[in-house]
Amino acid sequence: VNETDPSIALADARRVEDLVDRAALEDVCRSFFDLFGLPIRVFASDGQLLASVHAQRALCSLVNEGERGREACSRVVGEVQARVPGDADVVHRCFSGAAYRIIPVHYDGRVLGRIVVGPYLPAEQGAPPEALLPLLPAGSELGPALADMPRVRAETAERSARHISRVLDLLLFSGHRAFLTGQLHLRSVRANYRDLRDKTERLQQAYDKLKELDRLKSNFLATMSHELRTPLTSIIGYSEMLLSGIGGELAGEHREFVQVIRRKGENLLELIANLLDMSKFEQNRLDLADEPVQVGALIDDVLGTVAPLAQKRGVSVDALVDPALPAIRGDGARLRQVFQNLIDNALKFTPRGGRVSVRGERAPLAPARGEAGDAGLVLMMAPSEGLRITVSDTGRGIPEAEHGRIFDAFYQVDGSATREHGGTGLGLSIVKRIVEAHAGTIHVESRPGEGARFIVELPLERAS
Amino acid sequence: LQLDFAARELAIKLVYYGPALSGKTTNIQAIHEAVAPAGRGRLMTLDTRDDRTLFFDLLPLHFVAGAGITVRLKLFTVPGQVIHNATRRLVLQGADGVAFIADSQKSETKANAAAFLNLRQNLKDNGLSADGIPLVIQFNKRDLPDVRSDAEIDELSAQGNEPVFKAVATRGVGVLDTFFGLLTRTWDNLEREHQLKQKFKLDRDELLGTLREQLGLTGERP
Repeated sequence: VNETDPSIALADARRVEDLVDRAALEDVCRSFFDLFGLPIRVFASDGQLLASVHAQRALCSLVNEGERGREACSRVVGEVQARVPGDADVVHRCFSGAAYRIIPVHYDGRVLGRIVVGPYLPAEQGAPPEALLPLLPAGSELGPALADMPRVRAETAERSARHISRVLDLLLFSGHRAFLTGQLHLRSVRANYRDLRDKTERLQQAYDKLKELDRLKSNFLATMSHELRTPLTSIIGYSEMLLSGIGGELAGEHREFVQVIRRKGENLLELIANLLDMSKFEQNRLDLADEPVQVGALIDDVLGTVAPLAQKRGVSVDALVDPALPAIRGDGARLRQVFQNLIDNALKFTPRGGRVSVRGERAPLAPARGEAGDAGLVLMMAPSEGLRITVSDTGRGIPEAEHGRIFDAFYQVDGSATREHGGTGLGLSIVKRIVEAHAGTIHVESRPGEGARFIVELPLERAS
Repeated sequence: LQLDFAARELAIKLVYYGPALSGKTTNIQAIHEAVAPAGRGRLMTLDTRDDRTLFFDLLPLHFVAGAGITVRLKLFTVPGQVIHNATRRLVLQGADGVAFIADSQKSETKANAAAFLNLRQNLKDNGLSADGIPLVIQFNKRDLPDVRSDAEIDELSAQGNEPVFKAVATRGVGVLDTFFGLLTRTWDNLEREHQLKQKFKLDRDELLGTLREQLGLTGERP
């Protein structure tokens, strides 16, 4: 983490060329040249030429025609380039009387380079220095060459120097700012990415651990259910034998007690069967039969088994099942479990004098998948037909907030109902899984005090 | 700290830390205004349209101390908003001293504590420790109503380790005290670690005097 690059950690700027785009610098120099007519060059602190805009002047061409002039000229140019100004500008004079102004490039208290403006003729300069003449080719016309040189007053030279200084300072500052912004942005994105990656890794580990625990739990449930069932079968079997009189006739109270033992044993067996089902569902190990199922007949059968209980509780049961319901393909025993459970529940939660109704009909099914705006909606959402079985009661109803959760394993709306009516909280969860395994849906419509309607929809044809 | 013996330069990084909107930027703006132009660079702010610091603010100061040593002070602020933690951690890298700018309003007490815990964590992540790094605390916004009382702050700061300053940064009050307090503490720590006196012939009080003089800060006593 500790990457203390001074250019970032200390926002240290040491090189002009790191902060300013070369082409932009050249453009600024071009603009300076166009405005003031003065040649300009920018050098880095190590002497590297960064930008240069100038035009060959007649005087310089003239000087460079002769060998001595050429030598003298290149000596001056070398001196100018080598001259490092301190805090203030320096003016370097050429033997021709022309001047170069050397301007330090300050940034953040450091000199990062220099600007050289010139050659130009100071306006105050009178006749050309005498030293110039011997360096020119014989018979040269000095007049036009001097007229071609830009003439600048000291004050103008000073002002143009300040101008370019400020412009360059602004360029450096903007470049520095952009550099720091970019670097910091990049680094914080990288750091954020690292943080998120670490967090994701930790979450993944936690998730894997939980998944493993869940698998262990399901295994445990399956094993335990199996192990519990074996002795329980014996308990039920022996109580049945006792009841059948194999061990001798039972006296009144004895018979009653043994009946309780058998009934509770059967309750327990059912509970264990449910647990076993749940664990099979959770491990996707439930094998469903694929056979023709007459749902109408299944419902009739279930209604037949609950009739005595309904009568005892004083709840009326009515059924309206279309006799022409077509058969669907599925697991008859499992589907029977679905209707048995729903009707048992309805009876359980309906008070004396209430009514449980079962309806079975052919109905168009809402497509299970697809939302408005999906691609190919018209193809994917063609209506399909199915069976709709509705089990309604006149019980206390279910608050809307609970509608989604009553199908969760072990969830019960109200603990007190369980104590009153028994049950494991697994029934609806298993029902939902069986229905879904048949590509169907189940949902509840209910409001407190107005009873509940459980609606199961099963497709006639299952999509492959 | 960056020591450049060849260039006879040393650079010190001071970071202004604290919860969002506690006045970190206002502090260094006030320093910027107080310092003579020759001794400062441009104040660089990287903020969003609503004036919240996005990456940091930077105020570079420089002066020449005795024996011709150029001393560079880099004053940074961090972005206070919780989501910018990665940036805070980055800005804290290489810090030589930290000024924690707290908001005096009672309602901000929790935010101050949370920001301080965040500072400790980020120091740790940068291989530093809150006990080791020179630290000063400023209670800013003393002019607002419903602030923590002087008596309470005085009593608690007497039990703590760090110098505590009170400020109204919008009016520049207490800003330079905090700055010099931080610099003094930071220098003492650097002196212990790097023997600056021996290497550069730099003495703390002389240095602070030069700083005041060259940056035009002679008006206010530390």
